[in-house]
Amino acid sequence: MVIKVEDTLRTDRLTDLKEAGDSAGVPAVARERGRAPQIVPDANQQTPAVGQRVTRPDSRPHITGQTRYIDDMSFPNMLHMKILRSEYAHARIVNIDVSEAEKMPGVVATLTGKEIPVNSFGPSYQDQPVLADDKVRHMGDGVVAVAAETEQQAQDALARIKVDYEKLPLVLDPLEAMKEDSPKIHGESNIYATKVIRKGDVEQALARADLVMEARFSTQMVEHVPMEPHATIAMWEPDGRIKILSSLGRITLGRADMARTLDMPVNRIQVVGTIVGGNFGGKNEITTEPVLALLARKTGRPVKGVFTRKDEFVSSTTRHPFIMDYKTGVMKDGRIVARKVRIVADGGAYCSWSETTLGKGAILSVGPYRIDNLEVKAYAVYTNKTTCGAMRGFGAPQVCFGYESHMDDIARELGIDPLEIRLRNVFDEGSPSPTGQVLHSVAVRESLDTVADRVGWKEQTQ
Amino acid sequence: MKRRGRGIACMWYPIGFTVAANPSAAVVKVNEDGTATVLTGTVETGQGALTVLGQIAAEELGVAAADVHVVSGDTDATPMDTGAIASRTTYVTGNAIQMAAAEAKKILFEVAAPMLGVRPEQLEARDRRIQVIGFPQKNLPIGEVANHAQVVMGRPPLGSASYNPPTVAMDPETGQGKPFSTYVYAAQVAEVEVDDETGEVEVLRIVAAHDCGTPINPTLVEGQVEGGISMGIGLALQEEILFDDEGRQINPNLTNYIMPTSLDMPEIEVDIVKNYDPTGPFGAKGVGEPTSVPTAAAIANAIFDAVGVRIHSLPATSEKVLMGLREKQKAEQKRIPAE
Repeated sequence: MVIKVEDTLRTDRLTDLKEAGDSAGVPAVARERGRAPQIVPDANQQTPAVGQRVTRPDSRPHITGQTRYIDDMSFPNMLHMKILRSEYAHARIVNIDVSEAEKMPGVVATLTGKEIPVNSFGPSYQDQPVLADDKVRHMGDGVVAVAAETEQQAQDALARIKVDYEKLPLVLDPLEAMKEDSPKIHGESNIYATKVIRKGDVEQALARADLVMEARFSTQMVEHVPMEPHATIAMWEPDGRIKILSSLGRITLGRADMARTLDMPVNRIQVVGTIVGGNFGGKNEITTEPVLALLARKTGRPVKGVFTRKDEFVSSTTRHPFIMDYKTGVMKDGRIVARKVRIVADGGAYCSWSETTLGKGAILSVGPYRIDNLEVKAYAVYTNKTTCGAMRGFGAPQVCFGYESHMDDIARELGIDPLEIRLRNVFDEGSPSPTGQVLHSVAVRESLDTVADRVGWKEQTQ
Repeated sequence: MKRRGRGIACMWYPIGFTVAANPSAAVVKVNEDGTATVLTGTVETGQGALTVLGQIAAEELGVAAADVHVVSGDTDATPMDTGAIASRTTYVTGNAIQMAAAEAKKILFEVAAPMLGVRPEQLEARDRRIQVIGFPQKNLPIGEVANHAQVVMGRPPLGSASYNPPTVAMDPETGQGKPFSTYVYAAQVAEVEVDDETGEVEVLRIVAAHDCGTPINPTLVEGQVEGGISMGIGLALQEEILFDDEGRQINPNLTNYIMPTSLDMPEIEVDIVKNYDPTGPFGAKGVGEPTSVPTAAAIANAIFDAVGVRIHSLPATSEKVLMGLREKQKAEQKRIPAE
């Protein structure tokens, strides 16, 4: 059974009717065409609760403008923070002089990376400084933070900070970055994560295939663009505890990162996840929270930091550009017998969630298809560009573009309908995944049939 | 001339972290009037997670969504949660909440059993009542039981639990293992119109069928699908961060980084595929991320269907489509045999 769109228009209110034999608990609908709307019970008051079109408790404040995001909040004596970002994509920091900036009107304190107890963070590898201290690796790297009475005063003071840099050769292309003689961004190699999946004998299967197709696909860097940019208020409380109001989506781990960077016990840190105006994966790790905390301690006042839209683009994480090489062996009947995939993920300047995005991308890159002979090799590579991290889909939109474009090319070459070739290869209940996992509650065939029915795919094909 | 085409794409997507532990813990407290409070360390990021989590607690306790208040997002007050990431909230946090609610319900049953003259295992919680299985007329309002538990018996009905999806580490040489507990599946069809003189692509219609296991709240599932499609259209056709040779972003603003707006959105039709995952709370899996996965692929395939141009790199801007059309024309001209 599927819930039909015409039955689920937003104006509908639902009854508590349940369809007989519907184990999923999906309610039937109350709407009847052409009749005056009937009064139906409030879904929020219905039992069983699962399957009800319950309204959200936060929808009324959102719609009436009563929701308070961090930027709507203010505390007595609160200061505002701005961050000076790097002038170069790759350079050594020789000297930082904040003396002129500190004399500017309204400026209360500045902070550099050297003042941060443990100046590194990251979910897989702690390769990212909270504020760059010895080296900048992309233009979004923060170098100095300023806290002032007003946002404008903090912004004006940034222009008076003098940072001396020694420029380093940079690398922007991930394929160039993989070469041995490329400029190195961290350590001795720019390749910082590799994922391999092997199954069966891919070379032998390719040799036996009726047709072998090859293609390269690539995707671009994109931003999450949440309506609310990253926003934080830090308060160093009189009892010595730090309180952080944050747009973070992962407060427990955010607190652990705070404890590590500030070198403080976890129980002296309170992280409050406020109402978030969009996340999409971009607010999954700390950004400037430790900086705000330290400025709050330095000044004894609450400090607020809200990213500008430009900060959001240049310094928050983005979606990884992927370069994907597909090679697929297929029989005349459309059955895929072998697939090789090579993925190069451009990770930008720091690892962030690249290591895990690469892993997920590698597993999913085969597609939802039963293929007995596989070889996937995936690499995450540093470049002097904006850091790539978690974003809705976590590598999957990239590889789906690859394997599904490739699938249509194969179908055309064989003269098989694109829907039909998919149905001949998709997973079924109990199919082994590329990693040998036995899959359960599989519904890819049903999904294909559902969209095909709705658009009349088969009728149009004939 | 404007040419129409359609393209199909399907996908699979896992729920939760890749192998690594990603637990959620939860506390469920039944108040003396039978309403309940849930404590969770996840954060509402706009997707409606707290509503879904409240419905899961309500279902287990046999009460309505309005009877449950969800407290979230304060490390001082709420238990550990890996967070709003990896499409894991409904499944992982949901399982923890269901288990915690079951603990609280166990206390209610133990208190109600002597009141109804049966054993606790003969009871069920439905329609805001604790009732005898098979004899629903033998029941007590949940508020009466909760009040009796707390005020008379001195046993406030509360429960706590945690859940971590079971996985098996992947072999480093072959990648073989069980990286995820479960996956969801989907297919989308895009119908587009391509102007073969300008290369401009307009998406007319997206038809989406998504498996999320049991839809705890169908409205919120549809909302996720629609939102994911808008991100997929941006990825397919227009969004791109561009850099100069020095590594400087040249379009870090919403004037030059072009996102789809409501005016760019096509007609969207959403089907929720019927499915039930026995490992999820009431059969539920998740839906957050997968909604944006197949859209770009479906659009790229629709562009090919319309004008015969294969897009190898996203986004499929007008320039790329037009370049593809020119190359195709050249190739076709070459094929005309010389006289």
